Amino acid sequence: MRRPNAKPRYRKGLSDGWLALLLILPAALLLAVFSIYPFLQAAFDSLFRIPLVTRQSTFVGLANYAEVFQDESVRRAFGRSLIWTVSNIVVQTSLGLLIALLLNTRLYGRTLARGLVLFPYMIPAIVVATVFRFTFNDITGIASYLWLKLPGVHEPIYFLSQPNTALVTVTIVNCWKYTPFIVIVLLARLQTVPRDLYEAAQIDGAGRLALLWYVTLPWLLPVLTVALLLRTIWTVNDFDVIYLLAFGGPLDATTTLPLEIRRLAFSHQDLGLASALAVLVALGISVIALAYLWLYRRSEARLHER
Amino acid sequence: MSSEQARSAARAAVQPAPKRATRHRLRAQLERMGLHALLGLTVLVMSAPLAWMLLSSLKPDQENAAYPPSILPHTWTLQNYRLLFTLSDFGTYLRNSCIVAGVVTVLTIVIGVNAAYALSRFRFRWLNVLAGVALFAYTIPPILLLVPIARTITSLKMGNSLPALILIDTATLLPFALWVLRSYFNGLVIEIEQAAMIDGCTRFGAFVRVALPQAVPGIISTSIFTFNAAWSEYLFAATLTVSPSKLTLSPGMALLLDQTGVYSWGLLMAGAVVMTLPVLVLFTIIQRRLVNGLSEGSVTG
Repeated sequence: MRRPNAKPRYRKGLSDGWLALLLILPAALLLAVFSIYPFLQAAFDSLFRIPLVTRQSTFVGLANYAEVFQDESVRRAFGRSLIWTVSNIVVQTSLGLLIALLLNTRLYGRTLARGLVLFPYMIPAIVVATVFRFTFNDITGIASYLWLKLPGVHEPIYFLSQPNTALVTVTIVNCWKYTPFIVIVLLARLQTVPRDLYEAAQIDGAGRLALLWYVTLPWLLPVLTVALLLRTIWTVNDFDVIYLLAFGGPLDATTTLPLEIRRLAFSHQDLGLASALAVLVALGISVIALAYLWLYRRSEARLHER
Repeated sequence: MSSEQARSAARAAVQPAPKRATRHRLRAQLERMGLHALLGLTVLVMSAPLAWMLLSSLKPDQENAAYPPSILPHTWTLQNYRLLFTLSDFGTYLRNSCIVAGVVTVLTIVIGVNAAYALSRFRFRWLNVLAGVALFAYTIPPILLLVPIARTITSLKMGNSLPALILIDTATLLPFALWVLRSYFNGLVIEIEQAAMIDGCTRFGAFVRVALPQAVPGIISTSIFTFNAAWSEYLFAATLTVSPSKLTLSPGMALLLDQTGVYSWGLLMAGAVVMTLPVLVLFTIIQRRLVNGLSEGSVTG
């Protein structure tokens, strides 16, 4: 029997330090070998000129970085990445918000509708590419057929094989796949809005738009910021959907930065140059991530102030 | 005035006259109809591509190439599915994908749960550093890792093999799993574990017997997301596996897609449907949790 005032005696196992080390070791090893080491290797490579075939590397210092900044095709890829990321984020956020609010309303068939609307998020990129390459096919695609059926339309659109429409088409497809992510996140958060916040605002005479603007949106904002942080990272880095749908073409029209990195490494055959660009992209993303985290802290703080 | 009084006063003030009530109800009804129409439109747009995929997989080739296209098949057929498994190597890709996604999920969860528990329960400075590194690893563009990883794999003489792909997928999916699971453990009450330790459990025993069973829902959600990501992974699979016997579904389907001259759209749609089926099953399991719980843990944690 234990005396009431005795210090609880824990059974001896491993000491906390050793246990923590053992628990974390496999994860740490995997991350070190397949994430950190390759990253450092790429950073190291970026200081060399490395033709893909011979692998005879010559030290060139920061010359690759200078070249990246001067390279015309890199500059164009940067422009495309900017358009790609901003348009994706804007469309996904606004549509995602509207759909989340709609799915949060008490309507018939809401549960089934939720399932059907959220499902595309889980569809593998290659399936997305296969289905939409069929849908947007120039000759037999149903999209081209429906487009020509529209009143007043006489010219066909070659969705994926025209440089001026390809990026738009890929963006639409990407939004179809990823808007559900924003919906999922916002829908979960919408279900936790404290009732008394609404009641208090209603007593103050707030209309529905005012409720949305002053109660719902501020409540969603912190979670939305984190969701946008993830979406931005993934959209900048996105390779699969663009590559499998359009291969960066036609005429480089969909070559964003990740595809440009691939082109530099495999077609242009210079690992050093490709690594330099990749390192710059990674740094750029970190800066964006920090900006989002700052926004997140601010929106959280605002929420708690009230 | 107390808040209760204020509330009833406010309620009285907005009590509408009878006539206004009818008009108000009419407007509300119209609005609900509009909202239902909007909901229907959203569902249509979001699910039309997948419905089209399913319908096209059940049409004979002539119909898929016909102009104007027909929505419903004139002749329903399973021929595309039969050809998919007899004419192409799809069966092999499917088997490889099952192996890779299955093993990756188990590895990621086992490794991730242990590490996440340590990150959640112990306070050492070096652990914080590790958590930071894991978060950073999440922001590295996969394309940046591609060439160095390919080189490492070649020097380890593991090129063109499923184990190499499994290791890399596990490593790239680990940060996400760590993050979600850690926030899940953070949400569990620590007192029960302490009570178990007072009752004679070791720390590890408290982890396995007390914390782990409570974390099962979080583990299920994380497994489903991990499986889905490994099932869908294209970039590393396409780079690291070369011979047809080692291809997983993503590069395998991409290969078939490049040979649409050889194969048909119907067959490709059949492949897309088969590849989507496991995802659909997982999605049905997770759907409710998706909206109610997981995203909260993963995003706000």
